Amino acid sequence: MSQVGSFALLLALALSAYSFLAGLLALARPGPGSERLGETARRAGIAVFGIVFLAAVVLVVAAFQDDFSIAYIFHHSNRDLPIAYKFAVLWSGQEGSLLFWSLLLATYGLVLRLRHKTDARLFAYASVIIAAVQVFFLLLLNFAAHPFAVMTGELPPDGNGLNPLLQYPEMVIHPPMLYLGYVGFTIPFAFALGALIMRYPGEKWINITRRWTMVTWGFLTCGVFLGMHWAYSVLGWGGYWGWDPVESASFMPWLTGTAFLHSVMMQEKRGMLKVWNMWLIFITFGLCIFGTFLTRSGVVSSVHAFAQSSIGNWFVGFLALIFATCAFFYVKNRTHLRSEHRLESIVSRESSFLFNNLLFVMFCFTVLWGTLFPILSEWVQGTKVTVGPPFFNKVAIPVALLLLLLTAVGPLLAWRKTSTESIKRNFMWPAIGAVLVGVLMMIFGVRPWADVSYFYALMAAMLAVLVALTVVSEFVRGARVISGHTHQNLLASMVHLGHRNTRRYGGYIVHFGVAVVIIGFLGSAFNLDQEKEMGYGDKMQIGPYTLVCRSYTQEDKPNYGSEWAIIDVFRNGKQIDTMYPERRFYKASQQTQTMPQIHPTVKEDFLLVKDLYLVYEGLNQDTGRPIIKAHLNPMVPWIWAGWMLMVFGTIIALVPNAVPVRLTAPARVQAAPVGAD
Amino acid sequence: MSVAVLACILITLGTLVYVFYLPGKLYLGPEKTRLSYLRERKEAVYENLRDLNFEYKAGKVPDADYLSLKASLEEEAAAVLAEIARLEEAASSAASVIRDSKGARV
Repeated sequence: MSQVGSFALLLALALSAYSFLAGLLALARPGPGSERLGETARRAGIAVFGIVFLAAVVLVVAAFQDDFSIAYIFHHSNRDLPIAYKFAVLWSGQEGSLLFWSLLLATYGLVLRLRHKTDARLFAYASVIIAAVQVFFLLLLNFAAHPFAVMTGELPPDGNGLNPLLQYPEMVIHPPMLYLGYVGFTIPFAFALGALIMRYPGEKWINITRRWTMVTWGFLTCGVFLGMHWAYSVLGWGGYWGWDPVESASFMPWLTGTAFLHSVMMQEKRGMLKVWNMWLIFITFGLCIFGTFLTRSGVVSSVHAFAQSSIGNWFVGFLALIFATCAFFYVKNRTHLRSEHRLESIVSRESSFLFNNLLFVMFCFTVLWGTLFPILSEWVQGTKVTVGPPFFNKVAIPVALLLLLLTAVGPLLAWRKTSTESIKRNFMWPAIGAVLVGVLMMIFGVRPWADVSYFYALMAAMLAVLVALTVVSEFVRGARVISGHTHQNLLASMVHLGHRNTRRYGGYIVHFGVAVVIIGFLGSAFNLDQEKEMGYGDKMQIGPYTLVCRSYTQEDKPNYGSEWAIIDVFRNGKQIDTMYPERRFYKASQQTQTMPQIHPTVKEDFLLVKDLYLVYEGLNQDTGRPIIKAHLNPMVPWIWAGWMLMVFGTIIALVPNAVPVRLTAPARVQAAPVGAD
Repeated sequence: MSVAVLACILITLGTLVYVFYLPGKLYLGPEKTRLSYLRERKEAVYENLRDLNFEYKAGKVPDADYLSLKASLEEEAAAVLAEIARLEEAASSAASVIRDSKGARV
């Protein structure tokens, strides 16, 4: 079986190389026969999908058949591994995840090449660039990280098993989502670079890639949030974001990708920021490759990273090649990227996008600096100095608050310029609402002068409410116009409105989701935690909750043995739940893993919901008594609700507009007579 | 010959046939021209005008702002339409010259 897999990888490399070289030749030397050569290049690119898919299937089948003659299967699977995790074996190790990267790229490439009739020449350029990226990953797979390497000597009876951290349902979908996001940015990158190389006239390439970019951004958003949820549910430290280098690696392209989604509207609508947009998408793709490098090279320590390996050098070389190619074509064709208009006023939609972009890029640079600091300090001083969450939070929180302010302000500003009267008219009610929330929070005991975290929490709450209210006001204003014409009620008019311009109103729903997520984040200023040795009948108090240890028990399963505490939870003397925090011992890998249990207090606290989060930390080495750690995390469920809203908004933005666009008011515009100038 | 080797040979043959056997005419698509770019630009300006009208009706844009923004967008649309008209006229006169010369040869 490994022979077929190995052969498939070699064949895929040959086909990708052909797709790249033949495609390049056909574009560089147009003439008799070049169309047929270009078509063979396109077909070779399509065939790469089938062949890489075959290699991936071979690896998954080997995992299901417990074929430990393949070293990768031996290192990442075992006989008693549940079926769902046998699928996850494909992306749980270095070599398999690179194969998965290659498969996803081939899948995106397949869709792109099948849709080439949209704009045959532009798609041919994009196809060649994708083939070049594919060649890099297949070179890695064939010569540096071979997933079908075979074991030597006597075959072991069982494998080492999957990393226990990965044996959690979300880990079956988190990596594919994140990879779909990482890999997907290759498509807008390929179109952008292709458009620059061919000096593509106009902004249609943005229109073509808009859905690709939004889909990719949606996947990356899901990947980042699933990662947060996994960290929260599995790692057992009570938090969801620790500025781990690999978390940061996924966050950086998200930041620049989000900036691109905004600034690209200025290019579409006004022909502005062409150079900025081009570099923004180059940088976003570069950061996706950089993130893949960070996870795999072992240059930084992380719970997510794969083992230290030599493939880091390959990535450094590839990143240098990407930068050199982009810089070369930018210098060569920069005259093509001249702006068609200038910024007319500092108070306009354009300037709000510009500021939002600067903040996103600044945020990204801060995260990059903090992530790379250990490497840079080792180069300069010889010792690795790691910067922790305080460094990131010092910059990230104020920048995020400013971004939130722009999220509220931007949609209310008009393109080109906005007068003071317009600002007053649009901001009055949302601003009053935000101030009211601030006053209410202070009345209920939030003292912003007592601690900087309370100040940030207050600001975040006010700005989140401002965003939410501006979104609501946008829907209401638009719905009133529709209602005036169609005589539908306001709710039906809002649905109609959303259908008319899915991109804009889907985007507003995403903004609303972001506001909800921020409300979830601000709860961390009020977190409580307690740790106690708890024997039978012992009590622990955390906030209004009393925890009573009822018992400890254990169970043996084929894949792992587990031990858990049974804790009754009381509030105001009434039992509200029984919780079972657990510790597992995975037999194949001989590793222990905590499985926290979380009780969201929706019934008790409604909108001010908290997570009661219990961890069974094991036995105290000195006393032999079990240790229970409890966290009370306010508002965390809002984060997951906001994420769902962001996904919903993205899906809405992807739906085509229901009402075909018809020219009405501009019909009076007259063309100047030919030759009049 | 093992099953694995036979499978590899069959996969290679199938792939080669798919890539290099090209029956029929190829789809080349229209060439992107200045005219097609201007038509896209015209649509973008019209969309900006529609957005402005909608925002005005929704009460987001005051009268004075609306009139000045509308005037500048209409000016932009007029410039684009003028260039489209010029290029279309040039294209149709070039086509008629070609037709005439063909007719003369017949």
